[in-house]
Amino acid sequence: MKTFNLPDLGEGLPDAEIVRWLVKEGDLVALDQPMVEMETAKAVVEVPSPYKGTITKLCGNEGDVIEVGAVLVEFDGDGSSSNSTESASTPSVAETPAAAETKSTEAPQPTTTTAVATDVFNLPDLGEGLPDAEIVRWLVAEGDTLALDQPMVEMETAKAVVEVPSPFAATVAKLHGQAGDVIEVGAALVTFGSAGSVAAETKQPEPAVSSDSDDMPADAATVVGAVEVGNKVVIESASAVIKALARKLKVDLSQVVGTGSNGAVTQSDIKQAKADGKLIGSKPQPAVVATSSNVSSDENPLDFKASPAVRAHARRLGVALSQCSANGRKGTITKADVDAAASSPASSVASAPAARSSTAGGGLPTVQVSVEPQTVRGVRRAMAMGMAKAHATVVPTTLMEDADITSWPKQDSLARYVRALVFASKIEPALNAWFDGEKFERLVHPNVHVGIAVDSPDGLYVPVIHNADSKDANQVRARVQELREKIENKGLKQDDQQGGTITLSNFGSIAGRYGTPVVSPPQVAILGTGRFRNELKLTAKGIENRKMLPLSLTFDHRACTGGEAARFLAAVIEDLQKPL
Amino acid sequence: MAAITLIEAVNMAMAHEMEHDKEVVVFGEDVGINGGVFRATDGLQQKFGEERVIDTPLAEAMIAGLAIGMAAQGMKPVAEIQFMGFIFPAADHIISHCARMRNRTRGRLTLPMVIRAPFGGGIHAPENHSESTEAIFAHIPGLKVVIPSNPSRAYGLMLAAIRDPDPVIFLEPKRVYRIEKHEIEDNGEEYPIGMCFVDREGTDITLISWGAMMHETKQAAEKLAAEGISAEVIDVATVSPLDIDTILESVEKTGRACIIQEAPKAGAVGSEIAAEIAEKRVTSLLAPIGRVSGYDTVVPYYRLEKQYMPKVEHIVEEAKRLMEYR
Repeated sequence: MKTFNLPDLGEGLPDAEIVRWLVKEGDLVALDQPMVEMETAKAVVEVPSPYKGTITKLCGNEGDVIEVGAVLVEFDGDGSSSNSTESASTPSVAETPAAAETKSTEAPQPTTTTAVATDVFNLPDLGEGLPDAEIVRWLVAEGDTLALDQPMVEMETAKAVVEVPSPFAATVAKLHGQAGDVIEVGAALVTFGSAGSVAAETKQPEPAVSSDSDDMPADAATVVGAVEVGNKVVIESASAVIKALARKLKVDLSQVVGTGSNGAVTQSDIKQAKADGKLIGSKPQPAVVATSSNVSSDENPLDFKASPAVRAHARRLGVALSQCSANGRKGTITKADVDAAASSPASSVASAPAARSSTAGGGLPTVQVSVEPQTVRGVRRAMAMGMAKAHATVVPTTLMEDADITSWPKQDSLARYVRALVFASKIEPALNAWFDGEKFERLVHPNVHVGIAVDSPDGLYVPVIHNADSKDANQVRARVQELREKIENKGLKQDDQQGGTITLSNFGSIAGRYGTPVVSPPQVAILGTGRFRNELKLTAKGIENRKMLPLSLTFDHRACTGGEAARFLAAVIEDLQKPL
Repeated sequence: MAAITLIEAVNMAMAHEMEHDKEVVVFGEDVGINGGVFRATDGLQQKFGEERVIDTPLAEAMIAGLAIGMAAQGMKPVAEIQFMGFIFPAADHIISHCARMRNRTRGRLTLPMVIRAPFGGGIHAPENHSESTEAIFAHIPGLKVVIPSNPSRAYGLMLAAIRDPDPVIFLEPKRVYRIEKHEIEDNGEEYPIGMCFVDREGTDITLISWGAMMHETKQAAEKLAAEGISAEVIDVATVSPLDIDTILESVEKTGRACIIQEAPKAGAVGSEIAAEIAEKRVTSLLAPIGRVSGYDTVVPYYRLEKQYMPKVEHIVEEAKRLMEYR
């Protein structure tokens, strides 16, 4: 049986905790196969197997704290167990070649690479500037033939355990010291020579041999961790440096004559040019500009200056930036420029002969798009016509204000909005009216028929809750439910959509705080209810969290005065702020 | 002309200046007898003596204070903070005094000093050794923050840092200390501080990076080229003051920008570069500004370190996202 005792995991700490076992009892493990993850105060470290063999016992469970030096794993073996830590943690000769492949970058770089018949390898400075290091375990045995760079021994300094590679391809004649021995920097560590000649000698540590640091091999001096080492020679980008210096000194490179090899411009050339006054702007520049050439190519988007939002807008409208005039700051194309090009494509053709849009037959221009314009029909068409009419005739003005609905019980808000419109229409009837701008007639309704704007994939429906002023909340809800079902089943009748005297748009059920809803003539007002939100308000009681409902009331200023509208909105708020 | 690594180039530059300017002194923890934990100061004490290459106690605040005092009296100290994670005891001196001395004395006193520190992750170091906190100092007016990405730049910029009349925080990306070599002539020729280096010219996207991540960034540019995407690669090199003009010029040309940094994403140097581009060149952008960076967390212990570090594939992926943005 062989045992493997927990080595110092490189922190100089007395113990480590088992995080998890990577092997089971009975497993056949290969040399260097990770067996267990151990956690020290500083890191989680995988502990590799020092042997190839079958595990007979794992000494500890996950979470157990194992002291350094205590038994961690038992292997079945040749039975010739050695009780010393040193032998237990020393792999056999036959197993070491595999270790040679796991070359550690933490190790010092040997400078001597030739095989030497007999030579003493002294402990180099392991990169800490510390005077000595302790042997953790030997990875080779006397008599072994080593490859160049093959790890020989693990040495522990105050900060890390470092593998020391062989500086030679040679045979080990003698190992100076055992696990636990402290070796001074510069003292003999390994003697190389003919195999076996000194192998039988006792393993007492040699007296430390002091040696001049001049004799020590150069080292990479990694203090902690592993710095990647590469020997590739890379060429510095000289032109990058020259250009940077020229920019810094504001020297015009085109005026500099290089004096370096092959006419290359040197730093002194740049400094001389600076002294000679060959500065940027000192010579008229040829009218060649790389990116903003006069030859406009609508293929290169960088020929046009426009913000990403404007570019996206142009793409949506199918407008090529080459069609747009640039009226923005410093020649940028603005959103308005894109809109202008979209609405009057014909006019922009003159300035952009290569314009790709077809303007035949009005409608949307067909620009390089993979999607063809669709004819708008049905409800969507009705919406388009209605909105255009509204836009052409109504003089809209929108008032915005919040209602505090903190006191509301949980309820269907739509019925409350309808009730508020009814209430306000009683207080200020001027908004519950029809208006004819051609005949200058006004009809103030005695009853309230509330149109409800309903979004659907087909377009906008505005079904009406007739006689809302004589319906209670349940009846309003029932009517709304009925209308919803009709829309879903496409069963909405003409009657259902006619006769509205005022409209409600509850866009807040989707998103939006305030808006500018569009009045639908002959009606004169529409109330938009936004998304409610919690807000800290300064009240008489101090700062309170209040639930606020944003309201946007658009009215036709031809038909109502601002005072009427404000009174109406105040009445809406008054009703909405009632608890019930 | 020897081919040397970044850390050897730092050493060569310091040795050159010590040779040519007797006011230059080097000090820090283990810099003398030991030659520095990464060997930055190897051989300097033997060559220039204990008077000019001084081992200090383990006291960073003292190291910074000593440098300020020396510099105020006309010397040119080059102080080493062994790891950037240990610079914080010195931060009060650096931020409250070093950075402000020129302003405080209305230009009567300037501090021609350099504070060197290895920084960044990727070398399996223990806790506190792997952070990239350049933004902390880049934020402080009065400090120059220089980060070389290769041996030649380490040599040229270190010379410039020592000769600079004002304080320079010289941050060395330790992961690439020995990753490659340059043939450098020890001719004392400095590189300009405060300038970006355009390492690769391209037309489709600008990749902006500095320090160790330049190596991943250059590899990403190669991979993108293989896929027909022409990337321009900029080594920022001086993260404060930023040479934003070079970056803006490039973004104007390519229309796309991707910033690659090892530091956490929030409040970093990359954030500042992105903001500058958005402020000044939004009309040139064809896609959002992309960022590939470390995570907004402590750099993990070494087993997870690889997961933390931005990789070549991340850069390629982000660059492609920006290329495909519509």
